[in-house]
Amino acid sequence: MEELKDNMAEVTLKNLTKKYGDVIAVQNMNLKIPHNEFLVLVGPSGCGKSTTLRMIAGLEEISGGQIYIGDELVNEKDPKDRNVSMVFQNYALYPHMTVEENLGFSLKIAKEEKKEIEKRVDEAVIILGLDELRKRKPSQLSGGQRQRVAMGRAIVRRPDAFLFDEPLSNLDAKLRTQMRTEIKKLHQKLKTTVIYVTHDQVEAMTLADRIIIMKDGFIEQIGSPIDVFTNPVNVFVATFIGSPPMNVIECDIVMQNDNLFIKIGSDLLMPCPLSKKDKLSKSSKVFVGIRAEDIVPSENSTDREKKGWNFEKSIDLAEPLGTETQLFFKLDNKEIISRMYNPRLIQIGEKIKFEIDLMKIHFFDHETEKAI
Amino acid sequence: MNKKIKKIISWTLTFIIMFVICLPGIWVFISAFRPNPEILSKPANWWPDVWTFYQFSQMFSIKGYVSVPAFQYLINSIVISLTSTVIAITIGMMGGYAFARFNFKGKNTIFLGLMLARAVPGISLSLPLFIIWAKLGLINTSFGVILVYVAMNVPFTIWLTDGFFRQIPKEMSEVARTDGCTRLQAFWNVELPLAGPGIAAAGIFAFLLSWNEYALASVLTRTMKSKTLPIGMMDYLNEFTINWAGMCAIAVVMIIPAVILTFIVQKHLVSGLTFGGVKG
Repeated sequence: MEELKDNMAEVTLKNLTKKYGDVIAVQNMNLKIPHNEFLVLVGPSGCGKSTTLRMIAGLEEISGGQIYIGDELVNEKDPKDRNVSMVFQNYALYPHMTVEENLGFSLKIAKEEKKEIEKRVDEAVIILGLDELRKRKPSQLSGGQRQRVAMGRAIVRRPDAFLFDEPLSNLDAKLRTQMRTEIKKLHQKLKTTVIYVTHDQVEAMTLADRIIIMKDGFIEQIGSPIDVFTNPVNVFVATFIGSPPMNVIECDIVMQNDNLFIKIGSDLLMPCPLSKKDKLSKSSKVFVGIRAEDIVPSENSTDREKKGWNFEKSIDLAEPLGTETQLFFKLDNKEIISRMYNPRLIQIGEKIKFEIDLMKIHFFDHETEKAI
Repeated sequence: MNKKIKKIISWTLTFIIMFVICLPGIWVFISAFRPNPEILSKPANWWPDVWTFYQFSQMFSIKGYVSVPAFQYLINSIVISLTSTVIAITIGMMGGYAFARFNFKGKNTIFLGLMLARAVPGISLSLPLFIIWAKLGLINTSFGVILVYVAMNVPFTIWLTDGFFRQIPKEMSEVARTDGCTRLQAFWNVELPLAGPGIAAAGIFAFLLSWNEYALASVLTRTMKSKTLPIGMMDYLNEFTINWAGMCAIAVVMIIPAVILTFIVQKHLVSGLTFGGVKG
């Protein structure tokens, strides 16, 4: 186990670019991933996250820029010489080999001694609890077990970095949560750099030390999970991170009696928070972003929220989830989601008073969609 | 009860159909073991009165007399078919892998060209082939025949193995490569074993095609130096007589190795064929 810890490597990307003909998949990506960091690349499909990962692994040619693993430039290196391990979405276990052979394959190729192979396979088997499955073929394993073998195969190599390409998306919801925890634990045990690609923002939030949100080949935001959740830099990040997604409404900014107001639809006037007054007074339109948990029914709001701004709306739909009920209503023809903790039975069409803590509202520029 | 009747009916039907399919084969087999006059008798004699190994002992010169050098033909057939199959499979495997895994310029055109080559009836090439082979001095050599069979089989094996390699997820080779394999090692250790049944199937097809081929071999071979079994069969066709029993005997010699081979790889063949059949 001691030796598992001595791989120190940071991964550095400099102006990394990938083009398929005229299509740009990844554009000028700059990134430094320190040793032992759990980095998650997240974004909608086609945002270039998997391509980035595959370029780091060496499975995809680089159109421009440099990749360093440790101090070494690996642009031209074969995957086998990069000392990274990759775990694929469909596990890609060797179907003609037993679990043991799957785990030991990389060492066999590297012509390690038999004893050493056995020792390291044993280690991995113990870490992942695969002892009883050693002699099985992949076809005799369940999805979760296959996933574990795939991870074991990566561990055995003692790589400088683990690359995960949507490893949990083939599992059912319950197993996914369980494996997520296991991956997190594994990272704490192994202490290596992990680069993890997913389209699932919950996975990203729960696993990451640092999240990178990508869109159309560009990095939109880099930050800790809490950071990207509380301070999204633009509308895209705001709506992508968090579940249910943040409510974003296009609003007019109006002056009435020397006071600045945000006009939502035709009938609601929300006072502008003092801290944003200067910035908002220059524009006439703005995107207002409010998370579902920041629009709270008055009946169970806190004292602080009671001092906020309130309005009344009738409910279109209520989805009880047990710990909370999600309330759907319309503001300016846009569907808004509110979270009601302490749920009770809600009648459709029932009028409910909502409170909004003005300090928790996000504002985004109408043209650039960037946070104000 | 109902189930039993169904079973009986299905077995009876299977038997009838199989009997019809096998009848010519059975007739060949029976006729190989009986004297010529009996074959020609009218009305037909369905079951031989006398069983004899006369034709076989003659063919293989057991009593010191050779009517037709069947043993030499058998050797020629085995050498030519096996060699051409091994070469065709090796080339076809590499070609199929390339078509399945790589993108290169003119890929589709080349593939289409290979398929078109399969569409040309082999016999239409016999005359030009004869002239070219004659000029190269390849007439009546095993090598000449092998060359033709390889050319005949390669497009087919490429097409088959391409399908099999396509079935293997790309990630297999990718994960092997991040596991420390070179591309060749990944192919050898992972993709080849997985494509094994398919390649076996392609091999059997190529072998049988060469083993049974008549038209081109009849043009390109002359003597027992290179004649294969199907051509050797014609030795029983004399100016005034046809030795039917001898022909049947040599046919039996031809059938047996093919049947044995098919039995050995039958399991692989079926899995190979269905495996490739999903996506072609």
